[in-house]
Amino acid sequence: MSNPAIVSENLAYWYGDLIAVDHISFEVGEGEILGFLGPNGAGKSTTIKMLTGQLLPKAGQVRLLGQDVTRRVKALQAQIGVCFELTNLYEPMTAADNLNLFARLFGMADFDAEALLERVGLAGKGKIKVETFSKGMRQRLMVARALVNRPRILFLDEPTDGLDPVSAEAIRNIIREEQGRGVTVFLTTHDMMEADKLSNRVAFIDKGKIVALDTPHALKQQYGKRALQVELLGANGRTELREVPMDTPETAVKIEQIFANEKVITVHSEEATLEDIFIEITGRGLT
Amino acid sequence: MNRHILTALLRKDLVLYFSNSFFTVITILGLVFYAAVYFLMPTDLNETIEMAIFAPEGALPILAEMEDEGVTLVRMASAEALRTAVASGEQDVGVVIPADFARSVALGQSETINLYFSTNFPDEFKELYGIMFREIAFAVSGQPLNIEISQQILGVDRAGSQIPYRDRMLPLFAIFILVMEMMGLASLITNEISSGTLQALLITPLRVEGLFVAKGTFGVGLAFVQVVALMAITGGLNQQPLLMLLALLLGSLLVTGLGFLIASVASDLLSVMGWGIMGMLALSLPAFSVLLPGVTTGWIKVIPSYYLINLVNQIINYGWGWAEAAPDLLALLLFALFFLGLGVLVLRRRFR
Repeated sequence: MSNPAIVSENLAYWYGDLIAVDHISFEVGEGEILGFLGPNGAGKSTTIKMLTGQLLPKAGQVRLLGQDVTRRVKALQAQIGVCFELTNLYEPMTAADNLNLFARLFGMADFDAEALLERVGLAGKGKIKVETFSKGMRQRLMVARALVNRPRILFLDEPTDGLDPVSAEAIRNIIREEQGRGVTVFLTTHDMMEADKLSNRVAFIDKGKIVALDTPHALKQQYGKRALQVELLGANGRTELREVPMDTPETAVKIEQIFANEKVITVHSEEATLEDIFIEITGRGLT
Repeated sequence: MNRHILTALLRKDLVLYFSNSFFTVITILGLVFYAAVYFLMPTDLNETIEMAIFAPEGALPILAEMEDEGVTLVRMASAEALRTAVASGEQDVGVVIPADFARSVALGQSETINLYFSTNFPDEFKELYGIMFREIAFAVSGQPLNIEISQQILGVDRAGSQIPYRDRMLPLFAIFILVMEMMGLASLITNEISSGTLQALLITPLRVEGLFVAKGTFGVGLAFVQVVALMAITGGLNQQPLLMLLALLLGSLLVTGLGFLIASVASDLLSVMGWGIMGMLALSLPAFSVLLPGVTTGWIKVIPSYYLINLVNQIINYGWGWAEAAPDLLALLLFALFFLGLGVLVLRRRFR
């Protein structure tokens, strides 16, 4: 990778005897979205805390934008945006006041809260207290807060968790827009569909270790079954499923025979989901 | 409900109670605190009446009778020495018996006994000393004696200008206000920690030191404004306003440090209130030495609020100036800096 925005080298953290993050190494390129996937307790939050300078690594090193996080933590925190997993807004304050507070902390003199609120779908809500907001509105405001300083790297921890489809899609659109303007996005989630839709690459973390790291397409190629699943209407009127392997010399003949002799209802390629791949690699699911 | 169910429920409640570290600590600490206060307070109660006396004739029957009745007589070398001892507060009551007392009373002549009282001696008891003298003299001679009893107050006589109780209570009110703000600050910080907003703040260019400065300024400002407002309303700033403002500022610093300490151990509003009330009890104890002189002894000076209370009391009620206040100001400053430093050190760990 020519110009990595995030570099993790042998990063490790442990709480007593419990190893939370076990010497993980990876890079995220500028303008790339990396989906960081793993079940609860896999080490996602500890990793994000070390990457954002909230936690000092017990071993290894983190570089953001080419600089060591432990040495330049405040300078780097000025260039990143973090959206926490749990909503931590000032509830008795208005949405605009929440954003303006953080804009001041970041020294954003020309900050326009209303414009940012409009971008996240909260136009006209600036003067409303956050305590009256729905979960979706709060989450949009959380994302807006992470964008206050026009960050070069965005760390998003489960940004769409528990949201309705409309709010979730709105947030995904914001992430895509940010990527469009060159922002690097580190996205932790256990929503495989979301990771698949958004990420250029995904990393699977399990028990503190990265067990796979590649593009969703490559992972599916590597771990998925190359087969067709054909749904047929049998002689007794019942449907039946038949699997046809795709990479054999007989594939073409078999498909031809099926279409010639059977009543075909549907045909699908049997592509593995990221969840299937995760289960195959780790032996357990994401939840 | 049978016995087994009751036992199981009680057991469950005990486990729940002691699984909450606040309640566990408060239970033990409360016990230790009140036990410590108990043992720090004087173990004996003075049941004797002590009085300084100067009698040139030496052993008079009336004096022997007084000692038999349980009055402890502290014999002084001269009338002047007795007056000095009473004026300085070393003795609360002194009596000077004239040189020819025995002969004069034997001849039925009128004689005057001078009773001296210190400034702080309660009015209610002054008359009792005169009555006691007459009664004992009657017991000795078997007849009423022709004696006059003259009462004098040595030191600043506050007759007609006694300190009203509300002025004596002003330091206590000041402490209550400061403690209230201490709890407010602690609650604010605790709420920010538990809601995660502090975490969000600290992932910006804002440093922990900056956060402490902000919280410290807020805490001191809040406490200072409130307590100054109280003093302004009650006329507490009429005497030595600058000195009073400095004392109150140091007091505000002290409670801000204590607020940090509370925030470092409390997890929610309930535990803030618990710790705050414990702090309020401890901090208000020295105020009782102002309200009820003599109920406390030197041990009260280990409580940091003593110096603030003493300063407020002395400035308002006894006209202290900078020179008299300097030692207490220094002690208050040291206590304030100590608790502020300790509060920052302990609370800082919760910010990580």
